[in-house]
Amino acid sequence: MSKPNDLVQGTLDLLLLKILALEPLHGWAISLRLRSISGDVLQVSEGSLYPALHKLEQEGWIEAEWKQTENNRRAKFYSLTRLGRKELESETANWQRLSSAISHVVQLSEA
Amino acid sequence: MRMERWWFTAPLRLRSILRRRRVEKELDEELQFHLEQKIEEGIAAGLPPDEARYRALRAMGGLEQRKEEMRDMRRLHWLTDFLDDVRYAIRSLRRTPGLTAFVVITLALGIGMTATPFSMLDALIFRPYPVPDPGSVVTLVSTSHDNSFDSFSYREYLDIRDHTKSYDGVIANAQLQTVGFSAQPGATPLVRGGLLVSGNYFRVLAVAPQLGRGFRDDEDAVPGRDAVAVLAPDFWNREFGGDPSVVGRTIRLNGIGFTVIGVAPDTFPGMFIFSRPDFYMPLAMARVFSTNPQKKFFVDRDDRELTVRARLKPGATLRQARNDLAVLARDFEHEYPKTNRDRGAAVRTQFEMRTQDNDVNWKFGVIFTILALAVLLVACTNAAGLLLSRARTRTREIAVRLAMGAGRFRLIRQLLTESLVLSLLGGLGGIAVGYGGIEFMGTFTIPTELPVKIPFRMDTRVLLASLALSVLSALFCGLAPALQSTRADLVNGLKSADVDLPGRKRLWGRNALVVAQVAMSLMLLAASFLMFRGFQHSLLDGVGFAKDHLLMVRFDPRLLQYDEGQTSRFYKLLAERVRDTMGVESAGFTQNPPLGLDNLGRVAFVPDGFQMPRDRENFTSAMDTIDEGFFETMKVPIMRGRGFLASDTANTPRVAVVNEQFAKHYWPGADAVGKRIRLDSATGTPVEIVGVAQTIKYRDSFDKHTDFVYMPLSQHPVARMVLLLRSSGDPLQMVKPVKDVVRTLDPNMPMLETRTYEDLYRYAAVDGPRVAVELVGTLGAVGLLLAIAGLYGLVAYNVTRRTREIGIRMAIGAGPVDVLRLMMGKGLVLVGIGTAIGLAMGFAVEQLMNSMLFNAGGVDLTVYLIVVPSMVLVTMLAAYVPARRASRIAPTQALRYE
Repeated sequence: MSKPNDLVQGTLDLLLLKILALEPLHGWAISLRLRSISGDVLQVSEGSLYPALHKLEQEGWIEAEWKQTENNRRAKFYSLTRLGRKELESETANWQRLSSAISHVVQLSEA
Repeated sequence: MRMERWWFTAPLRLRSILRRRRVEKELDEELQFHLEQKIEEGIAAGLPPDEARYRALRAMGGLEQRKEEMRDMRRLHWLTDFLDDVRYAIRSLRRTPGLTAFVVITLALGIGMTATPFSMLDALIFRPYPVPDPGSVVTLVSTSHDNSFDSFSYREYLDIRDHTKSYDGVIANAQLQTVGFSAQPGATPLVRGGLLVSGNYFRVLAVAPQLGRGFRDDEDAVPGRDAVAVLAPDFWNREFGGDPSVVGRTIRLNGIGFTVIGVAPDTFPGMFIFSRPDFYMPLAMARVFSTNPQKKFFVDRDDRELTVRARLKPGATLRQARNDLAVLARDFEHEYPKTNRDRGAAVRTQFEMRTQDNDVNWKFGVIFTILALAVLLVACTNAAGLLLSRARTRTREIAVRLAMGAGRFRLIRQLLTESLVLSLLGGLGGIAVGYGGIEFMGTFTIPTELPVKIPFRMDTRVLLASLALSVLSALFCGLAPALQSTRADLVNGLKSADVDLPGRKRLWGRNALVVAQVAMSLMLLAASFLMFRGFQHSLLDGVGFAKDHLLMVRFDPRLLQYDEGQTSRFYKLLAERVRDTMGVESAGFTQNPPLGLDNLGRVAFVPDGFQMPRDRENFTSAMDTIDEGFFETMKVPIMRGRGFLASDTANTPRVAVVNEQFAKHYWPGADAVGKRIRLDSATGTPVEIVGVAQTIKYRDSFDKHTDFVYMPLSQHPVARMVLLLRSSGDPLQMVKPVKDVVRTLDPNMPMLETRTYEDLYRYAAVDGPRVAVELVGTLGAVGLLLAIAGLYGLVAYNVTRRTREIGIRMAIGAGPVDVLRLMMGKGLVLVGIGTAIGLAMGFAVEQLMNSMLFNAGGVDLTVYLIVVPSMVLVTMLAAYVPARRASRIAPTQALRYE
């Protein structure tokens, strides 16, 4: 499986959950959203997007529904489940703990 | 994965299995949508369409790889792969229906043939007691020189119960015995099986009654006080229609009123293998039931009638329990030297109890199972051979797959799946075959008073064992072909359909298979023949007495509460009046008719003037109680001295008749008549030997010559006796006259087990053994059939494979005979080797059977003289048929072959 480049492992799941927490989206829209939110800092290859979505779906965190897009094409829209919301909360908390710990370490003055 | 998530994920997984095509389509569509969007984006940015498309695809990093990754995300690929394999296997097996059917039938026979004896073995040895935590229930036995599985007396039981520390409870029960049961007073008693148990029996076994309650300890404390009974579930349903109001009602057992206090649960059919008690009574009521009339049950320390079991305390080891009991047994020896000298005690597990040395049943079970496994092995080798040749014809297909990048492991898995499918089909067929076999065994009735349950059944344990066997056989048959065919040399494999690698290594496997088959089936045939001959021998030997024109009727006056005086008067009058009846040539009584199914009594004695070895108190011998008419009625010749006379009465000196074996054993070269033995010990009651009777068969038709003592009924009263009556005509014509005589004596006296003696004999000496011979014979026949098929297959396969070579040989001048020799030679060598190995195995099995069942020693040459040539002949034929086909091939055709 190709790993997302320059992305801390496991954070792709968090990003996807977060994006979907705002509104249900299809895969293409998610990839656009990823690009626009994070600028070019976080590079998520399009190839790894779908397996990741698939995994989240299999875990029961997100669910999919086939719907029409604005320009009348059929697409698979993903939305967060109750379970996914819980997962997002715990992952966010985790992330905050981790990042604040790391910031602490990084900011230690080299005295 | 946590449990709660299963709720959500299981349907998703299920969907991806069941609606695979749909899920795949969606995958496709989703990626396609993305791709199109991406291309549109590219075109909008000004790229030419081709370039946009190319970039989009690159960004995705390959559509198929993505899809594969997404499938992996479902973590189910192993399962979907497996299902694919199964589907593929079924398809490819359907392409070769003949071969498939043959392999399936072969395996079905093999597995089915194993299921039947395994169900026997399971019932006889492995099936646990029907109580919670059966593993902690052990049996305590008394041990002596002659018997390492002896019972305990009531007094000994009380001491063990109160003075051992390793147990959570010690229980006791007597033998299952016939009891006269009537639901109302005055009704003629019916014979049913009752079991005397200690008051803590149900509590310690952790069996909770389904109705009412079990015994309380205090109901077993005072002899004769608490007449209470617990009914067994079957009996309750049969006799009372499952009426719950039976609790509290009074029933009559041997004429005494007993209050029903409870009904045992359906899950507890009792602790015996072959029989089921109908009701349970407390030990304290023993006097109402049959105990040894010579002894005082509650007092005599040597009235050993109780089976003692105990539940080990959690944490207590078997070893502690053994030490604990051994200490107690030593105390007994010190305190009661008269009854307990040289007597030890031992703790036995359920397995040890069921594999007692003197029990024939489980040995039959073991022999059958070994033989059946041999058949299964033949079946598996056969199936393996067929799969091997099938794999060879697929060499090309496999080579193509390997060349295209299929992993070897993946291919092996797929080939194994194929053999798994085959063997599971075979296993299903096997279960059907086994079911038939078990039903067949169940049809066979045993003539006893109390119904005997044939406990062999197709239960989950047998089913699981059969399925496990099929999986094992799948591995066994499938692994070698799978390994071999995936090792194929690609270059050669792709070039031709059937590659012949240099060297003989490849054929080695098949040759070994044929050798194994020939050897196994020879062994099986020899075994079934040996068994047949063994049984025939035992029948030809004769039993030593006349078994025709005999009617037997059993009486048990205790059912009517007769005391000893009434009993002996009843038998005396009955004998007199029956002898005066028209058509009766002679009549006699015996406690246990020869070859009967009850255990023979034993007598302990010391021959007068005999210097006993220091470490033993007495000898024991099997015995029977008879009256003066017995020897004449059974036509057992008296060799020296006399039989019993009417003048041997309770008031004259005690006398006994022994058999020749006994006389030879204790007074070799001297006349036993006039010698005396003392009962129990050197200071016991003297008994004079007045006669020596010819040795006959006592227990069964392969009885070894055993010591035997007869005691006269008049001096050794026994309550339950069998009337034997020799008639001039059809013995069944005598039933009515006997009934009339009995009615004049006591209209209520039941006549139990009324049948001709030949019925009993047929069961004991003919039917039982015949079933055994038929089973082993079937095994042998099936084994032979499979071996023939295997050999035929091998030669036929060789012929096809070497057709071209044969053509060349014939083209340069070989005649049909040369070809025949070429093709058959190999087969014959294999048959030769197989025969040699089979002979060796046959000898080994013969040894085993001799030591386990028959007393004949040495090698039965006739058997081999029949079996070996017929085996060789048949197998040669199997090789000849395809070889002849080879010799008739036209060379021009053969050269163009393939």
